[in-house]
Amino acid sequence: MGYVAVKGGTDAIHNSQQLVEFYRLKDATTPLDIKQIRSQMRMAVDKVMGEGGVYAPEYAAIALKQAEGEVFEAAFILRAFRATLQRKYYSETINTREMFVKRKISASFREIPGGQILGPTRDYTQRILDTTKAFEDQEAIQKFLTEFTKGIKTDNLAEITTFAKVIDLLKNEGLLKPIDPTEDRILKDITREAIKFPAPRSARLQMLARAETGGLMALGYASMRGFGSVHPTVGELRYGTVQVKVKDATGRSRYIGKIEVTEAETISTGKRVKKKVPPFYTIGYGLCFGQNDTKVICMGILDTAMRTPDVNSPANDQEFVLYHTEGIESMGFVNHLKLPHYVTFQSGLKNTRAAIERSAEKPTGQAIQSPQLQTV
Amino acid sequence: MQDQDYILCECELQPLEDFVVALEETVELKLVKEPAICMTMVQAEDSVEFQPFYLGEALTTECELLVNGIRGIGICLGDEPVRAYCIAFMDAYTQMKDVDMQPVIDFLGKQSEIIEHNAKVENNLILRTKVDFKLMEQD
Repeated sequence: MGYVAVKGGTDAIHNSQQLVEFYRLKDATTPLDIKQIRSQMRMAVDKVMGEGGVYAPEYAAIALKQAEGEVFEAAFILRAFRATLQRKYYSETINTREMFVKRKISASFREIPGGQILGPTRDYTQRILDTTKAFEDQEAIQKFLTEFTKGIKTDNLAEITTFAKVIDLLKNEGLLKPIDPTEDRILKDITREAIKFPAPRSARLQMLARAETGGLMALGYASMRGFGSVHPTVGELRYGTVQVKVKDATGRSRYIGKIEVTEAETISTGKRVKKKVPPFYTIGYGLCFGQNDTKVICMGILDTAMRTPDVNSPANDQEFVLYHTEGIESMGFVNHLKLPHYVTFQSGLKNTRAAIERSAEKPTGQAIQSPQLQTV
Repeated sequence: MQDQDYILCECELQPLEDFVVALEETVELKLVKEPAICMTMVQAEDSVEFQPFYLGEALTTECELLVNGIRGIGICLGDEPVRAYCIAFMDAYTQMKDVDMQPVIDFLGKQSEIIEHNAKVENNLILRTKVDFKLMEQD
């Protein structure tokens, strides 16, 4: 039996929307400024952009405000907004080797080109609730900024440099698995063409880049715990800004701005098919909008896992990974369960009652129909 | 000095707007395409096998105008109508043959210095987090 839609309820739905606004505003507090959300809720904004698949910090902040901080809903709003606009440009390939690096670490090598730069991270902090945040004011903010920048000698600033990739150390030594010439390297766009399985790697990486962080983490963690076999070391994790360039209508290459991205290369030991073949390492790759270490590391794990298909390990199954980490579709499907299913459920209920009545094995188990359930 | 588009995308908006407003009075201007938002698909590639893929889209503003009959195109990330307009104007203006470019060169040079200085300050703040972990066995 198919889904039978309902109609009516316009007034109630409108009032419900107004009630949402009422609960958002009823305490009549100072309206949240979009700039405040952009800067002080930076990680949430990054997540909304990453999962919405749209780099637009200001609009992501507006979506977060509209959704009262619900990241799924905000990402949904942003992705829906994307569909209203024409795609006019395709960028030139961004170059993460020329990234303005804000963070660059390796868990594989202690000494890496340019050294390890922790950047902005909570990795080495204790997660103790800082109750002084409740009393933060402009004076406190200014005091912090003055203190923090005090030691910088502006007349003797170090030059900005780019850094060689850690992964090149392994590559130059010939320790990486050679590129499989049979792998499908075609460039697909999953926003224009529905994904088919097995999907080419370009489609997989694109879907992972806009997948939901929690979903990626669940499957990445599952793979490391034994429901799969990928337990990598982080070769390099970078966060910073990269330049975006497009060709304008006259064919000239134009700089149009920079975007923040996080990138990870994860190193796993390759599975040897034949004993005579020398051992090698395989690299998993992750790249996403904004700062999101967890997401790119899990992308790397799942990129590696999906290259060795295994239906017994969820993380190695392309369809399992890509469909179930797509946060907006998953959320949409789960939430459709709340919509009226009266006819389908009553149909099932009728069949169940009829089956019980027909049941000769349970003569004493007569089902008593509640008067409240007699009407659809 | 950095590329003109880089400077105009990265500089503060107010001085750019002021500079363009001052130049506008000296030319004949026709707006061909009002600033409007659109999308740019960002292409990336993995760093090992160089597999190209699409990372996602980026909100973009574009504008097109004619300055003394010369076409100028402005494109920048974000919802930035004023900046896109100014970039388009400067694009056309700097293609003109019969105007004194020294004020433009001075403006771009000054903005470039500010951008570079701010980036260097940020970079130096970042470099303070450089770490050299020692192994437990090491002194």
